Amino acid sequence: MELFSEIYNCYYQVLRHLLCSQAPLTIDKIRRQICEEGFGESLLSIIPKLESGAWNLFRRDGELYFSKLSPSFLMPLSHLEKSYLKALLLDPRIGLFLNSAQTETLQQMLSSVTPLWKQGQFSYFDQFTDGDPFTDPTYRSHFRTLLQAIKEKKYVDIDYNSPTGHRIHHYYVPARLEYSVKNDKFRLLALKASKNNNMRLEILNVSRMERINLTENTFTSTENLNAIIQGSYYKEPIKIHILNKRNALERAMLHFANYEKNTRKLSEDTYECLIYYNQSMETELLIEVLSFGPMITVLGNEKFLHSLKARLKKQIHINSAID
Amino acid sequence: MSDFQELIRSFPKTREYVRDFFVYGFKTRNEFKDKSPRTYDNERRRLESWLSPYVRKDYVSNGSNISLAIDSNLLDTNPLFQVWKTKSFTDNDIVLHFLILDMLQDGKKLTVEEITDLLLAEYETLFDIQTVRRKCNAYEKEGLLNKEKAGKTLVFSLDNSLAVWMKLNENILDALAFYQMAGILGIIGNELSGQLDFQNQTFRVKHSFFVHTLEDEILLSLLEAMNQQLHAFLTLKSSKRNMESAVTCVPLQIFVSSRSGRRFLCAYIEKTKRFTCFRLDTIKSVMLREPSEEYEELQEKLDKNRQYLWGVSFQGPERHHLDTLTMTLQILPEEHYIAERLQREGRGGTVTQIGKDVYQYQKETFDCNEMMPWVRTFTGRILSLKCTAKSIEKRFYQDLHTMYQIYQIEENT
Repeated sequence: MELFSEIYNCYYQVLRHLLCSQAPLTIDKIRRQICEEGFGESLLSIIPKLESGAWNLFRRDGELYFSKLSPSFLMPLSHLEKSYLKALLLDPRIGLFLNSAQTETLQQMLSSVTPLWKQGQFSYFDQFTDGDPFTDPTYRSHFRTLLQAIKEKKYVDIDYNSPTGHRIHHYYVPARLEYSVKNDKFRLLALKASKNNNMRLEILNVSRMERINLTENTFTSTENLNAIIQGSYYKEPIKIHILNKRNALERAMLHFANYEKNTRKLSEDTYECLIYYNQSMETELLIEVLSFGPMITVLGNEKFLHSLKARLKKQIHINSAID
Repeated sequence: MSDFQELIRSFPKTREYVRDFFVYGFKTRNEFKDKSPRTYDNERRRLESWLSPYVRKDYVSNGSNISLAIDSNLLDTNPLFQVWKTKSFTDNDIVLHFLILDMLQDGKKLTVEEITDLLLAEYETLFDIQTVRRKCNAYEKEGLLNKEKAGKTLVFSLDNSLAVWMKLNENILDALAFYQMAGILGIIGNELSGQLDFQNQTFRVKHSFFVHTLEDEILLSLLEAMNQQLHAFLTLKSSKRNMESAVTCVPLQIFVSSRSGRRFLCAYIEKTKRFTCFRLDTIKSVMLREPSEEYEELQEKLDKNRQYLWGVSFQGPERHHLDTLTMTLQILPEEHYIAERLQREGRGGTVTQIGKDVYQYQKETFDCNEMMPWVRTFTGRILSLKCTAKSIEKRFYQDLHTMYQIYQIEENT
């Protein structure tokens, strides 16, 4: 079972789309599709092969290319893919997606297949222990309603218990379900109309939702979620210096790999890194920076530096009170 | 660079380049010391071609930097999955792939001779029987075709029922959208979704560490060894000293850090009679060897040891068998979430309220040094820290002192 195999090659995928086209294709249309779906330089490799007939997959009639394949062409699954699916069936989260009849059907179709891995072969040693109740019927029902709302761009009416103990009731447009491996929880990235009618981003824990109603109202605006997320980032990123001792550079680069960042070398063992973040990431980022101790020095922004210093002052205060 | 090819034959060399570009994102041509300039130029050009929307160039005094600007909060896919879709192939490979699979779509069973004849009659392509047989056998091995005996001859067929069921079933496509982002070997879910023309537009992953997909081929081999309870021969390259070594071991479990995405193989080394963890990105190759006679026994032993593991280390800096770390914290009533953090993140350590607003956390473990990053996250609330490995205790207070100096905070204020 090969993972790095030509059957998963990007060119095969592009060609399959071209070959399943019912209508004859011009070379310009083929070029456009390769540019859209292929790599940056795929055009230079694929077009000569089609024009020369080395990839004899089209019938040519003048300027037009007719596929030799049936439009319903479908790739069968490889052993690797079947084995992967069988492993997914052992994951408790699969019940968020498949009902029992679907699970049974898939089990039957994969009855002779060995799962690629079993749950016990992986240990997430630092995962938090209060993950979401993935097998709880109410949780599953909420999850499916949110999934449907995202796909159909429907407003939902949510009753929510906030972490501060307040009950919130509001209309939201669900945009994405965000999973955190560390927390083993789903959060809903939702858009909510603010006072000036602009949409702003709210993040809600799925397990804190008491009640969800799918409404008939559809969200028709073309708000760009990423623009809203990026718009929420502070203008000034945090600027840190990383001292490359105790393997701190590599640890930091991997640790902050999930943030948008920009790094440059300042001297043989010092590196500067800018990390972009928003208010909802602030506490977590502060904790992460603190975990590196003196290997990371925060230079800015002022707000972040102030929070860090406040923590250290509090620590000094506690220690001196004991002394 | 007339010999430039966008596709590649083997993965390991590229894996190192992509990792360096992704993880560090600031190396100039001169800093890739081990590689020739021509190799650097070709690898860099490939990377720009595969990942063009994510490549960022910055001009600095000693040349231009190339890096991958990937903010996982904004992405519905892992851009590095592209790297797995770059395997080179021959003209015959791609033509036979489409024509043989198309010919067998309706479920008919054909011999190699019949397939070869139909390739000419229906698709106007001429192949010799040996070439067609090789491809059919290779696809039978991959699982794309079935092979069976019909009388005295071998026939090949294709069963598409699973692909058809999946294509019509949006729930399984949603599941693939999720698991490719958040699950083990997400690249397979991504390839499967691609085959079924379904794109994720529903899920994001908060703590996502895309770079680790580069180790998925190694992971696959290790899973095979674990599933068959085999020994494995690993070649390793130390990330710190750049030195190569090799070891024979019994792979038992994969340890995953959800905070850094790093993955480790936990294995038993018979020679030293010890459990050891190897970071997957330091494993260069895996060769499967003979079965382990004591596999289940070793797993039981590992389970017994697990309660004393904080992360992946089975031995502390002072070489004691076990050390105990005790941390006392001040937690005010309105900060109940800190006590919850101790429970939730403390990996089985005991949490006891020992006074008004004072809590004690205690954990016995093989290597308390591994706990220090977590301990430091409670800075501002730590009343005392004690450890039976005195070097740990000393370093904690030294580090605090250094931080006070860095930020010019007077210790006697």
